[in-house]
Amino acid sequence: MTATDAVLTMESGSRRAELLRLFLQPIAAVVLVGGVLLWAFSQDLDAIEVVSLNANTLLNSTWEHVLITAAVTVLVVVVAIPLGIVLTRRWARKIAPIFIGIATIGQAAPAIGVVVLYFLWTEQEGLWAAAIPLAFVSLLPVLRNTMVGIQQIDPALVDAGRGIGMSSLTVLRRVELPLAVPLILAGLRTSLVLAVGTATLALFVNGGGLGFIIDSGYKVARTTVLLTGAALAVGLALLVDWLGALAERYLGPKGLR
Amino acid sequence: MKRLLALLATCALLGGCGLEAGYKLPFEVAPGSIKPEPTLKDVSIRVGSKNFTEQILLAYIAEVALAAAGADIEDLSNIQGSPAVRQALEVGDVDLYWEYTGTSWINFQQETEPIPDEKAQYDAVKKADLERFGIAWLNYSPVNDKYAFATTKEFAEQHGLKTMSDMVALLQQDPSLGTFCMESEFISRQDGLLGAEQKYNYDVPQRNIKTFGVGAIYATLAAGNTCNFGEVFTTDGRILTLDLTVLEDDKKTFPQYNAAVTVRKDFLDRYPAIAEVLEPVSAALNNDIILELSVKIDGAGEDPAVVARDWLVKEGFVTIPKT
Repeated sequence: MTATDAVLTMESGSRRAELLRLFLQPIAAVVLVGGVLLWAFSQDLDAIEVVSLNANTLLNSTWEHVLITAAVTVLVVVVAIPLGIVLTRRWARKIAPIFIGIATIGQAAPAIGVVVLYFLWTEQEGLWAAAIPLAFVSLLPVLRNTMVGIQQIDPALVDAGRGIGMSSLTVLRRVELPLAVPLILAGLRTSLVLAVGTATLALFVNGGGLGFIIDSGYKVARTTVLLTGAALAVGLALLVDWLGALAERYLGPKGLR
Repeated sequence: MKRLLALLATCALLGGCGLEAGYKLPFEVAPGSIKPEPTLKDVSIRVGSKNFTEQILLAYIAEVALAAAGADIEDLSNIQGSPAVRQALEVGDVDLYWEYTGTSWINFQQETEPIPDEKAQYDAVKKADLERFGIAWLNYSPVNDKYAFATTKEFAEQHGLKTMSDMVALLQQDPSLGTFCMESEFISRQDGLLGAEQKYNYDVPQRNIKTFGVGAIYATLAAGNTCNFGEVFTTDGRILTLDLTVLEDDKKTFPQYNAAVTVRKDFLDRYPAIAEVLEPVSAALNNDIILELSVKIDGAGEDPAVVARDWLVKEGFVTIPKT
């Protein structure tokens, strides 16, 4: 077997593993959530557990969690991608470290601190009061990947674009962005999983979500409630990560797939 | 790598790295009405607490009192969350901490219905905890850290609110005023919101319930934009500093939360003098003292250990040694 063969085998092997993962991940999520729910509802639940462990509350909390995650995603996409593009323009390169620094602070700061500080500062509560600080916390992967995605493009390609008479905007649209899409999507996938996890903190500013189930389960020492909330959040994270993987696979430029 | 392994092995030998780092008291104390106890001389006692001001204060009060009796104190106060402190007591990482009758009843004995009378509640929890977990309860203190609804002073004066019945009467006239900030535990417990709704015969509409972290409720309530009423704890110093008015629970729906020192039975059997030292101190405390001392800590930023010692000195339990 030649060296080239080995590389090819590995490639197709990892591709097969990736396909298998795409297939198995949603099944794993459903099995996990289903299993924990079956276990929880087969327990002898006391009056305190029933307050959290009923179909209505669980569905509501999960739905609120999805809404928060969606809101965070929208904010991250709307803020981080344009910002990342702007910061890679020649004239903006000098100020890029400032923004990267701010986004890094956001990710390094404890999410609960950011959420509560934002609330104390603005006195806003509810879905957006949770989504805005959480978007700040999960901004960095998309911002950085957008910038790296654009910066790693071979300058010769950009020059070629300008050479055949494209405006810089057209070069951005036709050359730079399509080539950066795989990295941007990879960043978005990381951000999304971060968002699902940190959305459990929305509860502390009246944002709802699965945090209610987890927090009340912990506070009143009802492990069944705590585990059910946690399993739902994990299941949701797995599903969201799976959607991200699908997007990476089917939204990237065809030539690079 | 070898060093890391060695570190891990040491941790395993010490029985987990979680709670080893106790502190000593930052000062010396001398006996007052608490006399040196020969049986406690240089006995190492590890005192734990939950992670809020009153608990940390109570832990220091016990620590200073026991130190005056001669014990060698290790301070493990400010452990995150009551299940974690309880776990530490059960496995022997801490030797004693202050628990509330209602908390132990609902959380650790896994009961759902509280007992309305404070003495009866204490007796029941004391019996159950000893039988089921081998945890002994010293006599309970008049400190009763109960749930309550509070509102701002202006709002209370404007509408003439003194009791929860007044509140319900107001809300029946104008339900739109009935916005509530509360935390998840209060919503889940039978003796929290649900019990109050039944007792006072008023259902808070779901959309008027706003869920917050327990710390954020006080500031939110004081700001007055989000909710008119909030769930508070009756001994929290922020009631004084933020000028909140606590509504009297005139129909007695909220459970009793008397504080008492909990200690493993085998430890108490070995050092029974612990009870003799701590029970008079526990009996001398009450909600007003806790409120006043909490404000010194939260409001004026004083060191809780010093606040605890100064109170014990003022009451004559201990003295400051002459240098």
